[in-house]
Amino acid sequence: MSEPEPSDPLRSCLRMAVSSLCTEVGYDCADSTALETVTEMAQSLIVELGRSARAFCELASRVEPVSADIVLSMVEMGIPVQGLKEYAMRSNRVTLPAPAQTVTAKQTAILHTGNKKRHPGHIQDHLPEMPDSHSYIRTPTHRQPVTDYESVREKAASQKRDVERALTRFIAKTGKIHNLFKTDDSNLFPLISCEKEEEGMKLPPYLDALMFKDQVFEEDEREYLPKKRKSSHNDLDDDDEDVEKKAKLDESLAEVENIDNPFLRPVRLPRPVKTPVK
Amino acid sequence: MSHTNGQHDEQLSNGPSSNYQYQPVSEPGSLPVASTSPPISDFLVQLEDYTPTIPDSVTAHYLATAGLETTDPRILRLVSLAAQKFVSDVASDALTNCKMRQANATVTTTKKGGKEKKYVMTTEDLSLALGEHGVNVRKPPYYQ
Repeated sequence: MSEPEPSDPLRSCLRMAVSSLCTEVGYDCADSTALETVTEMAQSLIVELGRSARAFCELASRVEPVSADIVLSMVEMGIPVQGLKEYAMRSNRVTLPAPAQTVTAKQTAILHTGNKKRHPGHIQDHLPEMPDSHSYIRTPTHRQPVTDYESVREKAASQKRDVERALTRFIAKTGKIHNLFKTDDSNLFPLISCEKEEEGMKLPPYLDALMFKDQVFEEDEREYLPKKRKSSHNDLDDDDEDVEKKAKLDESLAEVENIDNPFLRPVRLPRPVKTPVK
Repeated sequence: MSHTNGQHDEQLSNGPSSNYQYQPVSEPGSLPVASTSPPISDFLVQLEDYTPTIPDSVTAHYLATAGLETTDPRILRLVSLAAQKFVSDVASDALTNCKMRQANATVTTTKKGGKEKKYVMTTEDLSLALGEHGVNVRKPPYYQ
């Protein structure tokens, strides 16, 4: 019995019992083939006794087997009944310990989430357990949108307020401001300066809203700066003015030193192009 | 062959006989007849404390495969005792064969007695012993 037989522990138990019986008789060792033969015989004897005893029991219209059934089976198989008692009372009998029942470690479910429901009353206990609750309960993960008028209106109003506030703060931080108080601390209550000085001209504050603020297509467009003309208030060219917004950085700007905005760098005037004069 | 002196009535008398006496005496050629129910029921009482070599759970399992479900442990022990006795009988017969073989071997080789004290149960001895019990065992000498 060198190799383990985990396939049938009861069979190996029986083989151990048989080998202990052989040792009791007087053997020191045995062929594995011979031992297997004897074990097989013992097993088939037990099974045959059981089958025959059950048949006798059912023949007598009983359900529970009685000792007489076993005795009848033994007689039918030719096993002598007489010597049993003397054999049982022999002096050198060996008792094997009962095979220990190893509890199979219950596989803890790794993905155990919900609690399993108990078996209902009509289901036997030896049947498999109910599945985890997450396998048949479905909860949608998105919230249903709130559709009632009041909350939608409120949400729109609060979003609008937040947008306005954020935008004004952004322009105050990055643009020209007036200080409301005569203190040096310019972080309190900045007011966006609405005056735009363009080389001595006062441009209306809503000019930026009127002009196109698309991207600057060419650097050469920067040269189209408004000349110093008093009457050029009304003479506004669409293409000339859209670069003015990026030019002025000489005014006091709040926190201009900390802002590394590429659009707020000091302007680099191009070299004046000498127009040929004929 | 039984000798009838005319003094005893045989139980093997042919035909119905009026003065038929039941003789529990075992005579050669006649089956030993004994009432078995009292001893076995007494024996069952003794079985309650007795643990046979074959564990109860093993016996219960094999009986269950045959369909014999019982809650009475004495039935289990009776069955396991019967199996044990059978195994012991076969093993003792095989041991006798082994000893005879060894005795023959020592006689032929003229060596000192006690050449080999170890008794090994071999298939040949076992098949001889089982043959006496009515089981024919044929095993190939080698496996392919």
